Order: sequence, then C-alpha cells, then structure tokens
Amino acid sequence: MPRTDDRLDGAFAALADPTRRAIIRSLAGGDATVSELAEPFDISLPAVSKHLKVLERSGLISRQRHAQFRPCHLEAEALEVAADWINAQRRTWDERFDKLDAHLEDLQHGTRQQRTTDV
Amino acid sequence: MSRPVPELHFKRIFDAPRPLIFSCMIDPQHLTHFWGPVGVRAPLDKIRVDPRPGGVFETTMINESDGSEYATYAIYDEVKPPELLVWIEPHTGMRVRAEFVVIAPERTEVRIHQTSVPEAFLLPEAQAGFLSSLDRFAEYLADCTNQRSNNDS
Repeated sequence: MPRTDDRLDGAFAALADPTRRAIIRSLAGGDATVSELAEPFDISLPAVSKHLKVLERSGLISRQRHAQFRPCHLEAEALEVAADWINAQRRTWDERFDKLDAHLEDLQHGTRQQRTTDV
Repeated sequence: MSRPVPELHFKRIFDAPRPLIFSCMIDPQHLTHFWGPVGVRAPLDKIRVDPRPGGVFETTMINESDGSEYATYAIYDEVKPPELLVWIEPHTGMRVRAEFVVIAPERTEVRIHQTSVPEAFLLPEAQAGFLSSLDRFAEYLADCTNQRSNNDS
C-alpha cells in the first residue's frame, strides 16, 4: 500500500475536528464568506478564522486572495484523496476477507472429505 | 507527531472455529492464500511472522498485473491466542487491532479496528531505530509494551 503522504495527514488532521467538518459540509453547498460560515456556530469570528486557516493549510479549502470578503471554496479533490484512502482500506479488508473465507472453506471442506475417506 | 488517520472498523463473520481463524492470521502457510487483496500475491517465501510482542510481521506484495512489488512491515504489539492480535505499521503510522470473537461453536467474527499509532511509538528515535534495525525497534516496542503493562498494574 502506498504510504500515507503529507497531504493525507493534513486532510485527516483537519477533519478530526467537528467544527471543521461542519464548515466543510456548509462549503459543499457552495462558496461562503467567514461571517456566513460563522453564523450557525456559537463561536467568535476569530475562532472560525482559525479553523479556516487549518483547513486552508490542509488544502481542503482555498480562499481568494484579493476579493473583499475572501469567500472560501471547498477543494473537492483534496477531500476525495482522503475518501479514496479510506475506501482503499475498506476494499483491502473486504477482498482479504473474501479470500480468507474461500481458504477456510477449502481447508474445512478438504478436512471433511479426508475424514469421509478415512471412515 | 501522531499521524491523524481516522479510526476504521471492519468486520466479517466466518463459518470456522476461532483457533483455526487465529492460526490463519499468524501462519505464513495460510497467510499466503489470502493476505494480498484481489490482483495481489503474497508469496510464502517472503512472509515473516514472529507472533509475540515485539516480533515482526513482514510480507511482500506482488501486483499480478505488472509484477511491481512492495514490502509491508509491522511489529506485533499484543498477541493473545486465539482472541487478539495487535500490530503496528511504523511506515503508515497505523495500529491494527484484530479481535476474534466466538459467535457460535463454528462461527467466528473477526473485528478489525484500525487507528493511528500512539505518539510514543512514532518518536523520531523510534522511527530511526526501525529504519536502521528492525530488531532494535522491536526492543523499543517491547519496552513500551512492558512500561504500559507496568503502568496498568
């Protein structure tokens, strides 16, 4: 399996916080400014700004440099990298379990046949 | 810094007794049949298993379509036959806990719980130790394990 790269680490660190996950959910509905994003939360604007900085550093969101209210934008591709990693883990275990199931059947089926022959 | 991989749970019920499934997970003769996912082989001669705390668990995965290889390294953290295996993959920062639960006499559930490695295991010294000498890292982990069980008691 490819080693988890820095990008993935950043994404998972950013997503470990419930407020930041809620911000990601809001941004999935479209770009938004800091004050729009802060609205549903009972926390200060600076606190929200801090979360946005973490998200920006992780590459999960981007902000326009020059626009007056610097709307935030969800970088869906970065989120997909994280989701893909989780799916790859799931697929690995699924496929491994399928093969183990078949192997166990071979083992036990073989044993039973042998017993029948022995009798 | 601990790698913040999310907690993942995977489980499956198998129609087999628990001791058999447990031996499948630690015996290279069995592992070679199922350890590689679809399209990936885990050849028997490249599996190393030393199922005790601090022991190694190594495989080489070969992609059947292009022949490319990659090695996996892990160190066992807990080994309690036939109910529990915990191993740590220093290069991915993952800790994998495999629990074997009897559902019925011939039915066993395997529960995989994948989490980030606790920070102590990923100290730069620990990683350097791992890279330069697997044995030294194994000792380091064994020390960690001992310290923890001493703390627990």
